[in-house]
Amino acid sequence: MAEKFDLNEREVWDGNYAASQALRQADVDVVAAYPITPSTPIVENYGSYVANGYIDGEFIMVESEHAAMSGCIGASAAGGRVATATSSQGFALMAEVLYQASGMRLPIVLNVVNRALASPLNVSGDHSDMYLGRDSGWIQMDAFNAQEAYDLTLCAFKIGENHSVRLPVMVHQDGFTTSHTAQNTYPLTDEAAAKFVGKIVPVDDMLDFSRPVTYGAQTESDWHFEHKIKQHKAIMDSRPVIDEVYAEFEKLTGREYKRVESYNMEDADVAIVALGTTVETARIAAEELKSEGIKAGIVAIRCFRPFPFDQVREALKNVKCVSVLDRSSPAGAMGAFFNEVSAALYTTASRPLVTNFIYGLGGRDFSIEEAKRIFKEQQAHADAGHITTDIQQFSGLRGPYLGFFQTKRG
Amino acid sequence: MTEIRWHSRAGQGAVSGAKGLGDVVATTGKEVQAFALYGSAKRGAALRAYNRIDDKPILNHAKFMNPDYVLVIDPALAFTDNITVNEDEKTKYIITTHLSKEELIAGIPELEGKEERVYILDCVQISLDTIGRSMPNAPMLGALVKISGMFELDYFLENMKRVLSKFPQKIIDANMDAINRAYNEVK
Amino acid sequence: MQDLKLRANDNRGLSQLEAGFDLLGWHEITQGSILHSFDGDATNIVNLKAEERTYSGYNSYTATVASWRVDKPVFNIDVCIDCQNCWVWCPDSSIISRDKQMLGIDYDHCKGCGVCVEVCPTNPKSLLMFAEQRELGEALSQWPEKKKKEEKN
Repeated sequence: MAEKFDLNEREVWDGNYAASQALRQADVDVVAAYPITPSTPIVENYGSYVANGYIDGEFIMVESEHAAMSGCIGASAAGGRVATATSSQGFALMAEVLYQASGMRLPIVLNVVNRALASPLNVSGDHSDMYLGRDSGWIQMDAFNAQEAYDLTLCAFKIGENHSVRLPVMVHQDGFTTSHTAQNTYPLTDEAAAKFVGKIVPVDDMLDFSRPVTYGAQTESDWHFEHKIKQHKAIMDSRPVIDEVYAEFEKLTGREYKRVESYNMEDADVAIVALGTTVETARIAAEELKSEGIKAGIVAIRCFRPFPFDQVREALKNVKCVSVLDRSSPAGAMGAFFNEVSAALYTTASRPLVTNFIYGLGGRDFSIEEAKRIFKEQQAHADAGHITTDIQQFSGLRGPYLGFFQTKRG
Repeated sequence: MTEIRWHSRAGQGAVSGAKGLGDVVATTGKEVQAFALYGSAKRGAALRAYNRIDDKPILNHAKFMNPDYVLVIDPALAFTDNITVNEDEKTKYIITTHLSKEELIAGIPELEGKEERVYILDCVQISLDTIGRSMPNAPMLGALVKISGMFELDYFLENMKRVLSKFPQKIIDANMDAINRAYNEVK
Repeated sequence: MQDLKLRANDNRGLSQLEAGFDLLGWHEITQGSILHSFDGDATNIVNLKAEERTYSGYNSYTATVASWRVDKPVFNIDVCIDCQNCWVWCPDSSIISRDKQMLGIDYDHCKGCGVCVEVCPTNPKSLLMFAEQRELGEALSQWPEKKKKEEKN
């Protein structure tokens, strides 16, 4: 019998601690981990909960992140509830195994504390690792603060383990800006959290000796395509399940989540589309710009995969100009996020103007004032009826002005 | 919104101080934020920690702030770190030092003319006397309570006891002494 | 008027495939390409002989690779000492052995690689390769005599 963990109705938790508490409350059976900054405390805390008798689970120490995810796959295929955490280089080393996990349809939960990818070495937050996972076949949800890291981690188990989904789920949070920032956090009681998440009901578990199964089959050109598309359809079809889990969570806590979040969008002329903590910082800017007569709104992607193509289109179809903020070096292209949002908007009748800012790499600060400046620039494009600057620009970058590509419209 | 910036060295407890302060503030029903600006920090490296306190949920995640309070818990950082960066006309400084206020300001030209917004105490000496080792974060909290008037001292002490509850009673008592002394000695 | 044959859902390029166009579609295959070995409850199946087990269509036991073979191993029970070397080394589990007694070859799954012949320690060998079409009786009638020491070298 597990020891009782004392929780207050209101805690002051950082994102890492919040996520680790969610793992404890979800009664995770196995965590195989190779800790890396800034996600270390998530798995470190889980290990201490096991060691101190707060949870009846297994913490497996391994020699690399590749092995960590491999261990998770074994434990998940065996039928357990499984989670781990990583960041940056660790995520990159895990990348090969991420595809194995999703291909085998194993509902592992991975807390990704977003951090820049070397070289040069950097421990702070940007979304390079998150982008690296975007074709890996995992559901990817993004938390903008510590509370959401806790909430979404609980939801992740319920979504991934749903029998009509059966997919691994990543819960992202910004390195340091969320993971090491303590804020007021309101946890569920252990009982309420356990009831919400429920018990895992395994599928094709290897410890079921009445039905032996083979994992990791080889499929050549005669079968591979069908299997990958079946998996793709499963991610696409997870959308209503995600919505249902969010709705159930709201009923329980009053905290509402949507796959696409909109703020001040009712009558917005200009919008910022962003991920992570930047969303919240930009919300203040939008609010403050009201007094200057600028109608600014924010569209935030809660669910990066499956990408909410239709909801993004719906949220932005009435604005005049949109700026998509990419927190990852695109290395020779427009920002990946810009491309996805632009593709959605291309299928609308209104086709708003879309610009791209690369910002915040390696934890570079993003301020309210800078968000305001970007909004004002979008307003200028909207007033002119076409993009008056280069389409891709850089926010918070030292050195001479840099920009790429001009519009052919207007 | 109240914004606080801590100047410290890794290991002096600024991050714990900021989080402990956040913990106490949260019990009053306010919203808090406590974070730090890390490099690949090693013990002794200069670091900055931050608090935001407000009545409504805090959405601003920028490191940038015009601090209402600048808390310097390492005596040398007052001279070597840029403690006045992004200040405004209301920024108050609480600085740990063994010098007099005049001697201190003479060494930090940026503080000239701001004497009435500069407060001093010797957090290092207080912590040596009470806790038995240099742990200047607790005394700094006592000084902040006094200067900001954010809390009654007794209320703050009661809540700090709860925050420190995982430590042995001896350490809790020593921290209470440190906060008390700092509250009375800051000037 | 749009040429309806160009509609993607009618023409997915399948007609141009050399093979595999008649296999199951994406909607019919298993989740996660996971394959179950047996039909029905397999709890005590380990106690059954291979030919008694309810292998599923996903299990390679239900497929044959006999046609891959050019030469086949022939087993001579009169020379065999039941050492199990061939059973250990066979890469396709095609040596049939019960209670450590060598019984013969599973010709549905043997690919004719000849490893069993290579590892057989008896003199003469208890397993020898013959052309696929050679009759068993004929093969056995041609079995070599025991080699003397000087001949062996």
